[in-house]
Amino acid sequence: MIRRLLLSRESFLFYVLAAMFTAFALTTEGFLDGYSLFERSRYWVFAGMIAVPMTFIIATAGIDLSVGAIVAMCGIVLGLLHTDAHWPLALAALAAVAAGFAAGAFNGAVGSYLRVPPLVVTLATMALFRGIAMGLSKARSFHVPDSFQWLNQGDAFRIPGLSGEAVYFPVPLFALLGVVALGWVLMRKSWVGRFTECIGENETAAAFAAIDVRRLKFALYTACGGVCGVAALFYTAQYATAKADAAMGMELEAIASVVIGGTRISGGQGSVIGSLLGLLVIGILRYGLEMAGVRSQNVVIFVGALLIVTAVFNEYMASRKGAKQ
Amino acid sequence: MKQATAIALVALVLGGVACGPSQQPTTPAEGKPLKIGVMPKLIGIDFFNATEKGAVQAGKELGVTVDFDGPVTNDVTLQAQMLETWIAKKYDAIAIAPNAPDAIAPVLERARKRGISVITWDADALPDARDFFVNQCTAASVAKSLMDVMVDGIGPDGKYLILTGSLTAANQNIWMAEMEKYRQATYPNLTNLSETPKASEEDQALATQVTADCLKAYPDLEGIFAITSVALPGAAEGLRKAEAADRVFLTGLATPKMMRDYVMDGTVKRFVLWNPVDLGYLAVYAAAAVAKGELEPGATSLTAGRLGDVQVQGTEIILGDPLVFDKDNIGQFDF
Repeated sequence: MIRRLLLSRESFLFYVLAAMFTAFALTTEGFLDGYSLFERSRYWVFAGMIAVPMTFIIATAGIDLSVGAIVAMCGIVLGLLHTDAHWPLALAALAAVAAGFAAGAFNGAVGSYLRVPPLVVTLATMALFRGIAMGLSKARSFHVPDSFQWLNQGDAFRIPGLSGEAVYFPVPLFALLGVVALGWVLMRKSWVGRFTECIGENETAAAFAAIDVRRLKFALYTACGGVCGVAALFYTAQYATAKADAAMGMELEAIASVVIGGTRISGGQGSVIGSLLGLLVIGILRYGLEMAGVRSQNVVIFVGALLIVTAVFNEYMASRKGAKQ
Repeated sequence: MKQATAIALVALVLGGVACGPSQQPTTPAEGKPLKIGVMPKLIGIDFFNATEKGAVQAGKELGVTVDFDGPVTNDVTLQAQMLETWIAKKYDAIAIAPNAPDAIAPVLERARKRGISVITWDADALPDARDFFVNQCTAASVAKSLMDVMVDGIGPDGKYLILTGSLTAANQNIWMAEMEKYRQATYPNLTNLSETPKASEEDQALATQVTADCLKAYPDLEGIFAITSVALPGAAEGLRKAEAADRVFLTGLATPKMMRDYVMDGTVKRFVLWNPVDLGYLAVYAAAAVAKGELEPGATSLTAGRLGDVQVQGTEIILGDPLVFDKDNIGQFDF
């Protein structure tokens, strides 16, 4: 049991993370600074939240490329309703999340009921939702009040035991941990995760096993849209503004976290904790390299190399597992 | 055995990481020179490469450490994350060309709270979020330079047209309003043949096309302003194809690199742009002055090395008049 836990892919990822952390701490002056690390973590929340439903979707051998566009669209819904229509902020925020669910439901409906491959559907809606955001906002940006910015910029409590400067626990990390916990329970402790992996393993077999494949897939894409809506609130709070060109490339960040986390792109199994660790690996690598003074074009190269190495490693682990069985 | 392979992979990843810092020399310990971070909108384009040259030059003159880095795309969210790292690295001053004025504001405010001086250059952030803004030139000075060059070419009672980017482009609209103001005050007999400017939508081929159309549609046309860095080379191509350079005078705003051929073959005699080398240079001088406490609100001028005394208006530092490029000086600029 313990041996299995110590040798699981998640633990392996954790070792990589720990080793990376130690290497940076030893070589890079200023890396080991609680304040900076927690400040930086605020930027990981959006892609981190989205990586959770993305894990389920990729585990069904699907993909959602439209998540960044949904985040932008939901931000615009929030800004437009609050600034132009003078809705109370809380109501506008609810509407933004609802818009996220609606966008996800659209992806899910076209993908599972009209049987269009998710890559095609979400490639199209990536442009569609971004276009709606542009059209609705007419290229304006919407400022959100300081009270709302607290959502991502706020401090929850002072972290005890750290000497020197006061270090606070960022408010948005609660949301991220909440989404991750919910995702982990659904993936590991409920039928949702089992059925999801079943679909990814063999969709036809899953259907014969009386799993309502279409309904589950529809639900997963809808949930993903909803999480994007929530992420949009935090994103808007961080940057104090909602803009149509927000969250550009967020789909790649989320997907990269999932893939580094060990969820196979061809489906069949998924790990929410793995995705969280994947997010941290990318985040810490970027942060550490920047702290070490590596120029940003070279940072991109390192992150790309990391993706390749983990992808190769994951394939190797999977084939070894297959050989054992 | 399998474990060994896995460990080798980790070593590979970590080896790469460990190599990173050793390639970069760290700051010298003696005397603790000021550390200034300079961030362009994005890296890897001619314009900002030129600003880097100026920034590095100013750093050498002042004996301060200048780190010049920015995102690979003009994305404000990447800038914000990099700034977060820069705050952690405890720079004394940060000079940034923000991609969006409001989205960058929270992180700049955080930097200032931690005692880092913040300068914006090239584009501004919300004024509350920074100490000073290094303005490459005022709209009025751009307008004046353009108009003066035009009158030099077609005389004070010529007829001209304006080719802009999109009709909603903010900078261009302000410049055009200033051009009109300056025309009424200084050259009342100069005529704009079309109240609405011609749009080229930041599309060089379209600018060429529109220019060709205008040459046909306005037979008494004497001058064209192309006031974006895409419109000017596009218009120059249109003029060259129509072989109309001797009857229509073309000027505007663009980088010398894009215009070199057209200037050398006489299609465009003179055009205007602020000097990005000087812009980067001034940004570092301003950042150093604020960090040392030498430049405070209320100042009216700043002494900036080879630029001499530079004008300060409120919290804006004005680089000064834009440069006029022609056949004689264009060879000196490689941006």
